[in-house]
This record gives sequence, structure tokens and C-alpha cells, in this order.
Amino acid sequence: MFNFFTRQLASLHTLILCVVLIAFAAAFCKVARHPSPAAFQVPEVAAQPGSAAPDFRTHFVSTRHNIHTHAASLVELGDGRIRAFWFEGSREGAPDVEIRSAVFDPAKNLWVMESSVANREDTQRALLRYVKKLGNPVAQRAADGTLSLYYVTVSLGGWAGSSITAIASKDEGATWGPARRLITSPFINISTLVRGTPYFYGDGSIGLPVYHEFIGKFGELLRISGSGEIIDKQRLSSGNTTLQPVMLIKNPQQATVMMRYSGAGTRRVITTATDDAGQHWSAPVKAALANPDAALSGAVLPDGRILLVLNDIEEGRDALSLVISGDGGSTWKTVYQLEDQRGQNADPARYAQLAAQSALATDGNITDGTQHAESAKRIKCEAQGCGFEFSYPYLIQTRSGDFHLVYTWNRSYIKHVMFTRAWLDQQLEKTADAKLH
Amino acid sequence: MPNFTDLTGLASVASALAVSLLWLPWTKRLANRRRAWATGAVFVAALIPFNGLPLAAYVRGATGDLSITTLVLLWCALLRPWTLYCSFPLPGGRLGWGLARRENCVSTPSLVLTLQGGGDIEPNGLPGFKHRLALLALIALAAVTLYPLALGFGAFDPYRLGYGNWLFVAMLMLAALAAWFWKNYLIVLCIALATLAWATGWYESGNLWDYLLDPFVSIYALAAIMSHAVKTLVKPQRDRPAP
Repeated sequence: MFNFFTRQLASLHTLILCVVLIAFAAAFCKVARHPSPAAFQVPEVAAQPGSAAPDFRTHFVSTRHNIHTHAASLVELGDGRIRAFWFEGSREGAPDVEIRSAVFDPAKNLWVMESSVANREDTQRALLRYVKKLGNPVAQRAADGTLSLYYVTVSLGGWAGSSITAIASKDEGATWGPARRLITSPFINISTLVRGTPYFYGDGSIGLPVYHEFIGKFGELLRISGSGEIIDKQRLSSGNTTLQPVMLIKNPQQATVMMRYSGAGTRRVITTATDDAGQHWSAPVKAALANPDAALSGAVLPDGRILLVLNDIEEGRDALSLVISGDGGSTWKTVYQLEDQRGQNADPARYAQLAAQSALATDGNITDGTQHAESAKRIKCEAQGCGFEFSYPYLIQTRSGDFHLVYTWNRSYIKHVMFTRAWLDQQLEKTADAKLH
Repeated sequence: MPNFTDLTGLASVASALAVSLLWLPWTKRLANRRRAWATGAVFVAALIPFNGLPLAAYVRGATGDLSITTLVLLWCALLRPWTLYCSFPLPGGRLGWGLARRENCVSTPSLVLTLQGGGDIEPNGLPGFKHRLALLALIALAAVTLYPLALGFGAFDPYRLGYGNWLFVAMLMLAALAAWFWKNYLIVLCIALATLAWATGWYESGNLWDYLLDPFVSIYALAAIMSHAVKTLVKPQRDRPAP
């Protein structure tokens, strides 16, 4: 009997060792298959722009009135059309907020096909877990034509409790697959948000700039495989001062990240850079550009100059500027003032008048700006007065070389600005003697 | 149709809800069979949809998926009241399988490990206090290292190691082998099962840390370790003779 027990004992001890060996053999196989670091993929842009004529056009993307609208992003489709995404609902963070989308046809100069892409109920049904509210969406289109949309979802608390949900489309955004949750944080997966434009690595994996705002406020880069699995994560900053990183790729090895500053003291854009395809990042430093704790966006021109859109002021979001740097971000020059309502802390009547004028100037299809003005007034007027807001810019350069920019117009609509490289060159000539930041 | 990951994720949360029932004072007074029915009922109820989602999905929305370590400890807790099975003839005289009185019966792993001489095993075959304490100390140590750094304190992010780092996996293997050598099978199983689940892509997460650790088991481990430390410090003073 004792021998029987001894044999049992030995076999159990051996069995447990076998479990360990099998588990770690499988783990080492997985590690061996893990993709190695890859260089950045420089966005493809035609050396000679498709449109040689200076052109600057504006539109409204969203059409619904009296609704809270915010955080737009863009992606170029396979046929050159532009698809926009944003969130809107009765108020920011309300359960009825949904992710909406529309398509811009450059040939027709029209935004069409506005529709809902995701809502809270569908997302929680697909994720099989409770979802309280939706937030920022950003999208990227892979070489095989798959459109990936990443958007913020919150199950617990405020925006600090965010996590990222992903959906994919094989038909340029006409229909979308089921939602998937990205796991990006060990602490009940909370506090990861998206805002910056996704980019690609040389091996086809997607880079997704993200940020955290739970205990610390800091930026990170996620690397996501073609099958949608997170394969790496890299910290850009630490502490409690930086949000919403924007990746600006100069070449396969060099890139600069600009971040929103959310700390105390002098309010400046925060920047960090890499010379080895993101293996190492320099210590974050303050750039020359002012930043009122607001999102920014940018693109790198084929010649390496950096174009940024931001609220280049220390307080408020009532002015939006297009700025350029020819020296990697050390000095900046304002190319064009996209919006400027500084100091207009107007009474509701005056505010409505100014907003109506702005709406009429934005979109030629609008014959009466009253509805736009009333929508803006409803959201932006409080007891102490009304304030203008032009925020959350999102800039892309298309393969043809044209630029498309969207931003929040008084939290009521999404405004679209399209300009050609010829227009940019014209503006640069006009501002050749402008003062450097 | 829910996939395997979602089904197991919901089942894990339902298990946690069922185990939490065992901590209620009135359930401790119930006989094993009734406790089994009560926990089974809670488990099933947590998976029945109402208002579009089951209760487990609402909880999962806030908690995420539970780590393998948590699941191992949960299942130890679930099995503890009804694992007094006899599978061998014992000096006491009982034979065969079945529920038995604790003093008359030990289970297979208990007997085997006790004979081995290194097993810290309760009479019901589940890991004993010292092994649980060692695991909890390991969890607490990992948690106080991981969470502050992963939440932004400093430039180094240990969470990044979980995406497939040779050194991290090798260190874990050494830890598992050391625990196996010292016959702490609880630590061995937690590490090995978590690693196996990660290697096979069980959860949504591709990060090994999420299989090893979660905030709930970390809080439990920290509380248990602190409680044990306080008891250890207080006990000698109590035992000291009065002046």
C-alpha cells in the first residue's frame, strides 16, 4: 500500500512539473512569434499635388441641430473620399451619445451619407458588459482596405474610467463588425483614451497614440497587429501633465510627438522625439507654442516641415491657428488664423449674431444661420455670458497632397476645412515676414 | 453568439459572485449540500439576462476579466466546504469515494503530499495556510511594484513586459520551478495556468500580467498580509506573562 502511495506521490509531483513545462514551452513559442520592432511607415503623399490651384473651402459636416457635438476625426478612403467620425448626444457623457459618421466627396464638394456607426446599447451587447457612455473616435485604413475605428467607452466613473473599443469595416465604413475591447491597462483596464491620428509601422501594424487620465496624465503609443491584438505599448511621458499625443512621422526612424499640456505653470505644448523608430524617446519638454489644455493636431509635409492646428493661446478655445515649423518644432510661424473670437464674452443676442455670421461664412449651402446660432447659444451660453469654442482639431493630408481639417464648432457642429498645398504655399509667401513663436 | 472568452469571462464573474455568498454569515450556518445549492443558484442567476444583459455582464463592465490567480483562489474557496472525499483506504478504516467526516478522511492530493513530507495541505486536499500566505505575499509584492509604475509613476512601465518579453517569461518560469521544488503547488499552478492561458490567448488581453494579477486579488493579498503581520506582532505581546 505504501508503495502505491509513493508512486501516486511521485506521479503527482511529476504531473505538476509537466504542466509547468508545457505552459512555458507554449509561452516561449508565443514570445518567439512576437513581432520584432519595426520602423515607422511614412504616409504616402504625392510629390506633385493633384490640385495645382490654391483652394480653401469650408463646410459643416454634422447636420443635426440642438445637440452636443464634439471630437471629430478623419480617414481617407480607398477612392479618395474622406470619412469623418465624431460623437454627439444630448450632452457630453450622456447615455444617448453615439458615434456618427459622414463622407465627403471632393469631386462633388459635399458631405453625404451621415449615419450612426456605434451607440451605447449595441456596444455593450457586443462586448457583453455594461457600457455607460461613449467618447472620442479615431480611425485608420489598412493597406488591405480594412477600416478600423477606435472609440472611447466608459463603464465606470468619468473619462478617467475610459477604455478603448474597436470595430472594423471591410466596406469603407458602410457596415461594421462587432465591437472588441482593447485591454491596455492592468488596473481594471481603465483610463486609456484615444485622440491622436493612428499611424502605421513598416510591417503593417498600427500605431495608436493614447493617453491616460486616472491618477497620472501621460501619453503612450500602442502597437496593434493586423489581427487587432496589442503587441506593444510604449510610454511617452509620465507624471500628471500630458494628454492626447499626436504622432508626426518625418521618416522611418525619426518622429516627433506633440502633446496637450494639462499641468500648472506656463501653458505650452509638450514635445518629445525619437531618432530610432520609437525605441527611445527624448525627455518631454515644453515647445514654444502656447496651449490652453486643449487638443491639437498636425501633419508632416513631404519636405519635413511640420504643420499644426491648435488653440495657440494660454486661456480659452476661442481662437484656432494653423502654424508651421521648418526646424523640427523649435520655432513656429502662424500661417493662417482659422478662427478668432478672442475677447468676445458676448451677451446671448450678440453671440447669436456673431455665430450666425460665422455659420453663413462657413457653408455656402446655409441660407439662414439662425438655427446654427441658436444651437451654439443653447450649449455655449451660461449665466455669466457666452463663449466661442473652436477645439479638437484633426488634420490629415491625403495621398493627393490636399489637407482636410475638422474641428468642433461651438460644441454644436463639426466644421470642415479643406485646403490645397498651393493655398498653403500662397499663405506661406504672405506670412514670410511673420514673427516667429 | 458569445465567444469562448466572453463566456468564460462571464462565468468567472459569476463564480466570484457565488463565492462572495459564502462569506455571508447566514450561509456559514448551512449544511454543505444547501450551501452548494445556494452558490449554484447565485452562479446561474448571475448569468440570466435582464434588461438585455446578465448581472455578471454589469459587474464585468466594471471589473474586467478576473486573473487566473483569482480564479484559482476562488475555486479553492468554492470547493473548500465539500472536498472531503475519500479515495483511498485509510488507517481509520473508510473505503471508496464519498463525503466523509474530516477526521476520518483525507483526499488524494492531501495524502500524497503529506506522505511526501513537503505538502502544506488541509485535510480536504486544498492548499494550506503557509502556501496560501506565500502566494499572497508574492501577489502583494507584484502588485505594489506593478500598479504604481503602470499608472504613471515614472518612465518605466513594467506592464509593457507582459506583451512577450523573453526575460519576463524566463523569470516567471524560474519562480514556478522554485515553487515546484519547494512543493508550493498553489504558486506553481497559479503561474503555470496563467502562463498557459496567456500563451493560448484565452482572454481579450494579450498581456501576461492580466492573467497573473488583477486589482481585486491584489487588494485581498495586501489586506491578508497586513492582517497576518498585525496578528504576528500582537500575538507575542498577548502571550507575554503579566507583570
